[in-house]
Amino acid sequence: MPDLQFQATVNGRKVARSAKPHQRLLDFLRDDLQLTGNKEGCGAGECGTCSVFVDGVLMKSCLMPVAKAQGAQIETIEALARTGELSVLQKAFYKAGASQCGYCIPGMVMAATAAIRANPFAGREEIKERLGGNICRCTGYQKIFDAVEMARDVQNGKLPASALSEIEAEQGDFIGRNVRRIDAPSKVSGALKYAGDMTMPHMLHVQVLRSPHAHARIVSIDTSAAEKLEGVEGVISSADVPGEDGFGVFVNDQPIMARGKVRYVGEAIAAVAAEDALTAMRAVEKIKVVYEQLPAIFDPDDAMHDGVPVLHDYAPDNVTKHIPIRVGDVEKGFAESDLVLEETYATQAIEHAYLEPEAGLAYVDPDGVVTVVSPSQNITHHRHMLARIIAKPIAKVRFIMSPVGGGFGGKEDMIYQGMLALLAMKTRRPVRLVFTREESIISTAKRHPSRTTLRMGLMRDGRIRALEMKMISDGGAYGLSTEGVMRKAAILAAGPYVIPNVKIDTIGVYTNNTPSGAFRSFGALQTEFATESMLDVAAERLGLDPFEIRRVNAMRDGATTHTKQKLGSVSLMRALDAAEKASAWEKGAPNSRGGNRNDLNRDDVRPPVSLGARFETADKQEAAE
Amino acid sequence: MLTCDEYLTPRTLDEAFAAMATHRGRYRVVAGATDTLPWARQGRAGDVNIPVLIDVSKIPEMNERGANDRRVRLGAAMPFQRFLDDANLGRAMPCMPRCAVWFADDQIRAQATIGGNIINASPAADGTPCLIAHDASVELAVARGGKISRRKVALDKFILGPSKTALEDGELLIAIECDALPGYGGSFEKVGHRRSLVISLVCLAVLVKLDAAGKKFEDVRLAIAGIGPVPQRLTQVEKFLRGTPIDAERLAQAADMPVELVASRTRQDYRRDVVRGFMMRGLINAARRAGADAQALTGELEAAYA
Repeated sequence: MPDLQFQATVNGRKVARSAKPHQRLLDFLRDDLQLTGNKEGCGAGECGTCSVFVDGVLMKSCLMPVAKAQGAQIETIEALARTGELSVLQKAFYKAGASQCGYCIPGMVMAATAAIRANPFAGREEIKERLGGNICRCTGYQKIFDAVEMARDVQNGKLPASALSEIEAEQGDFIGRNVRRIDAPSKVSGALKYAGDMTMPHMLHVQVLRSPHAHARIVSIDTSAAEKLEGVEGVISSADVPGEDGFGVFVNDQPIMARGKVRYVGEAIAAVAAEDALTAMRAVEKIKVVYEQLPAIFDPDDAMHDGVPVLHDYAPDNVTKHIPIRVGDVEKGFAESDLVLEETYATQAIEHAYLEPEAGLAYVDPDGVVTVVSPSQNITHHRHMLARIIAKPIAKVRFIMSPVGGGFGGKEDMIYQGMLALLAMKTRRPVRLVFTREESIISTAKRHPSRTTLRMGLMRDGRIRALEMKMISDGGAYGLSTEGVMRKAAILAAGPYVIPNVKIDTIGVYTNNTPSGAFRSFGALQTEFATESMLDVAAERLGLDPFEIRRVNAMRDGATTHTKQKLGSVSLMRALDAAEKASAWEKGAPNSRGGNRNDLNRDDVRPPVSLGARFETADKQEAAE
Repeated sequence: MLTCDEYLTPRTLDEAFAAMATHRGRYRVVAGATDTLPWARQGRAGDVNIPVLIDVSKIPEMNERGANDRRVRLGAAMPFQRFLDDANLGRAMPCMPRCAVWFADDQIRAQATIGGNIINASPAADGTPCLIAHDASVELAVARGGKISRRKVALDKFILGPSKTALEDGELLIAIECDALPGYGGSFEKVGHRRSLVISLVCLAVLVKLDAAGKKFEDVRLAIAGIGPVPQRLTQVEKFLRGTPIDAERLAQAADMPVELVASRTRQDYRRDVVRGFMMRGLINAARRAGADAQALTGELEAAYA
């Protein structure tokens, strides 16, 4: 079928090239013109990282078939600092520190540029609304809005240009001093290359075959039809692993690709490297796998019963890790208590949703060093594991950490780097794999879902006498960080409170769900959610103020924790004071609310959800004129 | 991922119908394409190959728009953003700019079309309730024997159910026509999981015309979406309020009337609460924008609901 003859003006330059009829404008800009400041965060129009100007109007290039931009004037993030000098907005982002991982930032800068082009006097609410199509996951929104307001004011002459100056007002060397982010210019300009932005000469593109079943024995894998497809340079499955196949953070229970059986939907089974991603995708469709379905188990409580399916032979009870903590005598503590409460708490799986989906590039260098470039949060550990898996001395394995477009713990696992290494070794060519958002969500670790039973015994004045907690966590199909998460969950379960009698059990369990892994707070969220919720329940029952019940129990400087750690200083009292003040807390037991709230019209209190700030500014401007 | 062998961009209706005839059974018509691309992804339709995509967004007739004091005509490929750019259109359709700020986000609004929003026939379509309140009809065209013939269908008869319309094979949605309602106060109330780029859990379009004193409803038009399989006009409530003075008690009675219509698949109790609140807020907002008298529409009432 005929290619499109595509012509447009891109960043002031005329471009005439043939393009595939199904290409999106984003693909054309990234793959054909190497304008990789335009990111793909979701491919579905949700995140805004791909925003570009088409004939002066901001659009999402992942939603635009390239043919729609035929003959158009296109401006990308690369146009804004084309002279080498950052635009006013880019300087303001730099000054305000409005970039963390940086992956959303080119899109944010584009949306902000559009916002102040549309209304040079836009207020903060209108700016928020106009940036509503762009998502930041590092939660840097306040600084981003600060930056846009700063740029607006400089542009309108309300602030001097020197407000964006690179010279620091604050001098001296001390902890807590504001410093400029040295990586910000590369992020606000779109110049920084994440793994998915990198290319190498003669590079192949990788696609992965993933399991449609939660638990199944693999009877056979036939890759012959895929290998015969023109453009396919290599197909791998677990049979291609030369060394000891298994990775993990605490227990090496996960093969690079499913070996013998699949344990969750989305698990990698085979991978293809081909001249282009579409050919690799077609080849993946031609791989024939015969499965024998096995009964699957999805609930961690069920997984611990006798006679249920066993996921890993080494753990016949399906328990990944059990962490017990015992202090004092809880039964005695409950007997002494004036009030004993018992509740069950549950938390769900959560996706990290970093804006940068996983991506990696691998090659074998001239000295035979297998090199993997990826946004791994743990390259040294990965390097050692990979050396064992591909049976090479450590000196022949190299990991390079590319800029991480958000991790939050989700990029600690060596979930795809092994496939890249094997394909680079097999094809002797550089290979690159870029996950789609959907692939990222189905195949990578989540926050551990949990079910917690908590008993708490308290005295009338709010002092906790005893705490007994049992948390069952769904670790999913593989171990990953489960052991560490269970340990941290147990250590932090009783909170920063002096409790004489403590009994804690945290248990991570294998199931056929998506594996759970590291996620910032690393287990503390699950158990502390239960403990803190229980303290609110207790405050209500005892007629105490929720801040006071925490102060009564708070550890102070020099306290010893439930795991015998001596704390030199404890900042809890300061944190409570600050939280109480900032929340405009009404003192008293939490069994009534709202009676004397008069803060709904205060500047710092958000009104009920609404949209339409742009109409307000228009009215105000009309009135002023 | 969506793949196609050909992407055609006809410049006239004749060219579009010719392409549809040539590729019968192998094509899909797109306008903004902002729903088609996300649809063809893993978890929804998956990898989809449509041999021929026919993009009708560059056909001039389908981008025309015009409004006078009586009627409005909108080309089906008109991007939603025009409701915010075109003051003339905003005057003729007072709730449409309010609807447009809630519609998707700044980027998608520039590409997504009014016709696409209708054809998608989502139970939660944002544009449809406003249009239904304007007594809109759709103009459909088909080419038979080299001749283009057209028919008109009332919008509320055109939408049959979720993703279902009365569009026939070979037909194109060309334009939307509706009443112009200058001088009405408009409001659009919407709630979803977040503000931008979110599908409505409930959305409500309100248009009211008051008497010269700003004390009495001369006309009320209401339509709601997200509470059942199709957007619907609230004619009973309109009748109940038409010709009556603005009065807190009567508004509260009116607000209760559509609560029983909630027939969504999920979260019915929540939606009932929302419907009642939106009716109050929407009627009050629209009345204020229509120039309601300050004694009829008290600050107290506004503070409580709007």
